[in-house]
Amino acid sequence: MLGANGAGKTTTMQAIAGLMSWRGSIELDGRPLPRRPEQVVRSGVSLVPQGRGTLGALTVLENLRVGAAVRTDAAGVSADIDRWCEVFPVLGRRSRQTAGTLSGGEQQMLAVARALMSRPRLLLCDEPSLGLAPIVVQELFATLARINETDGTAMLIVEQNAELAMDLASTVYLLDVGTIAASGTPADFRADDAVRTAYLGY
Amino acid sequence: MDLFLERLISGLTNGSIYALLALALVVVFRGTGTLNFAQGELALFTTFVAWWLTTQSLPIWFAIAAALGVGFIMGALIERLLIRPVAKRNDMAVLIVALGLFTGLNSLAGLLWGSETKIMPSPFPNGESDFISIGGARLYGDALGVWGALIGLMGLMTLLFRFTKVGLHMRAVADNATSATLAGVRTSRILAIGWGLSGAIGALAGVLVTPLAPQQLSLTTMFSIFIAASAAALFGGLDSLVGAVVGGLVIGVLEAMLTGYVSVIGGSLQQTSALLIIVVILFAKPTGLFGTTKLVRV
Ligand SMILES: Nc1ncnc2c1ncn2[C@@H]1O[C@H](COP(=O)(O)OP(=O)(O)OP(=O)(O)O)[C@@H](O)[C@H]1O
Ligand SMILES: [Mg+2]
Repeated sequence: MLGANGAGKTTTMQAIAGLMSWRGSIELDGRPLPRRPEQVVRSGVSLVPQGRGTLGALTVLENLRVGAAVRTDAAGVSADIDRWCEVFPVLGRRSRQTAGTLSGGEQQMLAVARALMSRPRLLLCDEPSLGLAPIVVQELFATLARINETDGTAMLIVEQNAELAMDLASTVYLLDVGTIAASGTPADFRADDAVRTAYLGY
Repeated sequence: MDLFLERLISGLTNGSIYALLALALVVVFRGTGTLNFAQGELALFTTFVAWWLTTQSLPIWFAIAAALGVGFIMGALIERLLIRPVAKRNDMAVLIVALGLFTGLNSLAGLLWGSETKIMPSPFPNGESDFISIGGARLYGDALGVWGALIGLMGLMTLLFRFTKVGLHMRAVADNATSATLAGVRTSRILAIGWGLSGAIGALAGVLVTPLAPQQLSLTTMFSIFIAASAAALFGGLDSLVGAVVGGLVIGVLEAMLTGYVSVIGGSLQQTSALLIIVVILFAKPTGLFGTTKLVRV
């Protein structure tokens, strides 16, 4: 999901996640989503909010365990913790450190891993690349692409860097003042001169 | 020397009670960011329940267990029915509700059980001869019992917060309620459990302190104890469990020493000395001695 500052990307994400009230309908697989955040998580949608929102006073491990709040399979939870600590090695190395003392990039990894701990069918990421070094962003996006492939987790990602987003995405939505101004495959987008000059700026 | 020891013992015993009630305050503060002004009166009310059950010739241990249960339920109900609806508005509204509860619970206890002083039996051996001698000082059974209760409760709370899912979720909500709810934590249930837990801890403090308190069980018993407990919680920065316990013990011992050794400070000035300690701490360190300045990376 692309769009200028103030286009309504975060608002959209927060509405889906149940952080604000809304009118109309939001559906996943044809079924309406509930309106309360913890119920949304239970129906398989997990948000990595803009600005991460990790639990600073809790350790990395504890953050991951909180991410599994909706699950009751203790063995599966431990296995998933091990898995994400391997996928994001920095989390494994710093598992007993409090989240507040991690670097910005490390916190972003933790936020993503914590959201994945609920085993979502749909992962929402609001500007996961914010404040990260370009190389780290590429690693993170490569990891997300792998998870999408192996687990079949659908992902809705807000990204300011249009080129980067279009390399990753199968469908691109362009948001403008709260409405979808254009949507299509990355190829469509690149081919459409009007959209390109108006929104992508080249 | 034995006089000093006796004062130390009595200070530690009162301090343990302050610590218990301070723990109740901290549990609520960490969850909701509210200083529950009604905590002392809730403890008083549940103590009256325990006393009333003993007058129905029920065993004291049963009465205490029932008071803890009533404390839990009342705490949880207060959160759900009175605090939560106004908490969305603003902090001042919560404060006013808590003050209303403070007078409301006190009046209700007076209405149900009358204003004359009651004698609350102690669950511990507290006869004239139930003591052991340490360096010439007498350590009575009920003092030991109160210490044991504090140590036991600290152990249980450590287990709760370190090793259980509910405890982990309570810490998550205390840290950042929005993040916790986004992770799927049932925030509202966790808050109710926190208030319930603090109601039960308050009840424990109440039933343990009244047999020791000079005015026994009356409508004013908890006032001075609540003030000392708030000082203890503040001493620890309001969000530290260890700080609340250390604070309670320090204030208890300081009070005992000040009233014992400084002749101008009679028994009636005890409360003032506790308040003085609060003021001094707040001047020196506004976040309390154990308060966490949250680490935030932006
Ligand atoms: N509660 C609110 N009341 C009034 N206006 C709001 C409110 N919340 C958001 N807005 C406005 O709605 C618009 C969309 O905000 P939103 O945070 O969704 O933008 P965004 O697309 O995520 O932008 P950015 O790229 O800067 O993160 C902004 O102009 C914002 O000021
Ligand atoms: Mg945004």
